[in-house]
Amino acid sequence: MSDPIQKPDLDDSINVTETHGRIARQAAAAARENKLGEDGTQPVSLWLFLALAVVLIIAGGVLGSSGSLFAYGTSFREGYVRKPAPGKKDEGPQAKIALVAYSAKGAKIYSAKCGGCHGPGGQGDGANYPSLAGSAWVKGETERFAMIVLNGLQGPTSTGKAYGAAGMPAQGGGMSPEDLAGVMTFLRNGFGNTVGDVVTVDMAKAAMEISGKRAKTGQQVDAVELEADHKKNLPGDPLDPNILVDPVTLAPAAAK
Amino acid sequence: MSQDTSNSPEKDAIVRASIDRSLRHPVMFFFTSGAAWLAVSIVLGVIASAKNHSPDFLSGCAWLTYGRVFPAHINALIYGWGAQAAFGVIIWLMSRLSRQECRAAGTILTAGHIWNLGVSLGILGILSGHGTGMPWMEFPFFAWPVLLISYTAIVIWSLVQFRVRPSGHTYISQWFLVASVIWFPWVYLTANVLLHCMSGHPVMAAGINAWFRSAILLLFFLPVGIGTAFYLVPKVTGKPIYSYTLAQIGFWSLAIIAPWTGMQKLTGAPIPYFPPYLGAAATVLIAIPAFTVAANLIATALSSGETVSHSPTLRFTLAGLVCLALFGGAAVFLNLPNSTLPLTQFSLSGYGFDILGLYGFFSLVMFGAIYFIVPRITRREWLSRRLIKMHFFLSVYGVVTVALVALFGGLQQGIGQEQFDQGWDNAAARATPYAIATTLAWCFILFSNVFFFMHLTLMWLRLGRRSSHPTLLVDSHHSSPHGPEGDIDNAGPGTAAASAH
Repeated sequence: MSDPIQKPDLDDSINVTETHGRIARQAAAAARENKLGEDGTQPVSLWLFLALAVVLIIAGGVLGSSGSLFAYGTSFREGYVRKPAPGKKDEGPQAKIALVAYSAKGAKIYSAKCGGCHGPGGQGDGANYPSLAGSAWVKGETERFAMIVLNGLQGPTSTGKAYGAAGMPAQGGGMSPEDLAGVMTFLRNGFGNTVGDVVTVDMAKAAMEISGKRAKTGQQVDAVELEADHKKNLPGDPLDPNILVDPVTLAPAAAK
Repeated sequence: MSQDTSNSPEKDAIVRASIDRSLRHPVMFFFTSGAAWLAVSIVLGVIASAKNHSPDFLSGCAWLTYGRVFPAHINALIYGWGAQAAFGVIIWLMSRLSRQECRAAGTILTAGHIWNLGVSLGILGILSGHGTGMPWMEFPFFAWPVLLISYTAIVIWSLVQFRVRPSGHTYISQWFLVASVIWFPWVYLTANVLLHCMSGHPVMAAGINAWFRSAILLLFFLPVGIGTAFYLVPKVTGKPIYSYTLAQIGFWSLAIIAPWTGMQKLTGAPIPYFPPYLGAAATVLIAIPAFTVAANLIATALSSGETVSHSPTLRFTLAGLVCLALFGGAAVFLNLPNSTLPLTQFSLSGYGFDILGLYGFFSLVMFGAIYFIVPRITRREWLSRRLIKMHFFLSVYGVVTVALVALFGGLQQGIGQEQFDQGWDNAAARATPYAIATTLAWCFILFSNVFFFMHLTLMWLRLGRRSSHPTLLVDSHHSSPHGPEGDIDNAGPGTAAASAH
């Protein structure tokens, strides 16, 4: 900026009237501004100090109420048992309709035991693991299906194609009748399969007995044995898929 | 500005005027585009708030569902309006306080356009369903490097000016502004790199996000607002700051406390036990800088009561400072463990707290600054005191209603949420009357900003009054509704000629 006022002899070098006029026209707002001052030395009010002290005390209380800051014992209690809310009875989990409750239990078993090979969508991979969606043996007679789950399978599947030399390993170890009933119901009603029935816990118990009495106990089943000995439904009373059951025990529950 | 005392008033005026002139394009650009984004944000805010009590409102269009409108509203408020108003004020104040003309106006203007492009694409990204889902960081991934680079190109010149300022004293405003200019990239870069570029545990990511929200509010918007208020109040009243020591306490307490806040949003989340309590305690302590700054500046202004009621700048600034004190009170009130803390972190209260800080304090101070700065850079005076009054009253009533109603409605909603044996609609029903009141109050704010935006646009078109008299909020007996017009005698507040009016 060419600043005429920088010149040593101000009065001679600029027209004062003109400069005033210029300021008035162009910089009126800037010209009427006050100077900034910050050197106030007023004493700080006692009330403000008291208010700040209260804030400090409250903040200390907030920090203090966290107990010992790193103690997990206060927030993660060992041996915690679920308790009913104050004034409420412990009514346990809410009853669900059978098809939903069995399938929910089965979905957990499937993702733990089966999904690794047959895939999260039950689609298999086409080369080593067959698809469960639309499988005739999954949707067909329940005893034949149960024998495959409990004992594994050697040789060709329902489509006649053999997947891998080792076949499917037995999955019965550690499986409870509830687990077996759940996973069978889940597979017969999931991944596009719509059989619509429930494989009950009693049927699953019967399947385990039948499996234990097989001639070749401990070996995988094959298509010949399945078609000859097990092409039938499991014994036991069918369960109405819409009846209410307890989602944990799968026992029928009265509607609450 | 002790080094100025030897200069003549004429020279001061010419230096100021030439600084204003060098900055007129970028500053006006930031203010006008910021005000436009404010209008967009408030419209989106009205829609989002209406959905709290009438979920079917505009629900037919996927672009206008709550999950998109609400983030678009808050992001437009932060990055569209808040950040751009802050940029305009930062570059102007830093130039004025360092007594340096801006030599990079073109670069700043270009970077400002890029910032606007980034914000526009980000908002469109949110509305079209590509938001990230992280509160206050919902812009799609591409936006943050664009914003950070254009931010750097905008404010780096202010730091250069600060570096080459006439040696000597650093004014209080400069502490806050320089600090906020440095804190913003720290907070923004940390949060975005940690959340976008590194894979951490998702619960901890929510914690980082909560820290980011808190830090953007308390380490950027709060110091920018405070620094601006520390300039405007003594500038307009002509009185020195009430207590220099108190200003120092305010700055250092904010700098030390604010970075610790934020994690209280994760109260009850499966993270180590101490961060939520540490965050809650630090947020309570935010009352200390809030109270000291508000008390210091209000005490400065109160000694000249008539100026406060006449000057639009001071009115807005003081209303903002009262909101700052309320903000400090709310910080204490909302973070008491075992009583309010569990109720407020997942309800309307958090929103009320944010709006109290973002609009109640920061935006009102920015309005004050805009009413001060725009006449200087356009060399025109504001057209109508009625428009200013409408803007002031509707804004203040609106924001106080939004903030208080959301704070208390959130408590009610929180109590409903804690009743775990009741349905969720119980909590929603408790909040409904408050949500309706919030919608109405947003409508007030929208109305007030229509006046503001119209007024600012007229000023931008250089249709302001050509006069040496400022537009003051006096109920004068002049025949003209605009005060003495065309009366070029360079009389202003603080001069004998002005006192005579």
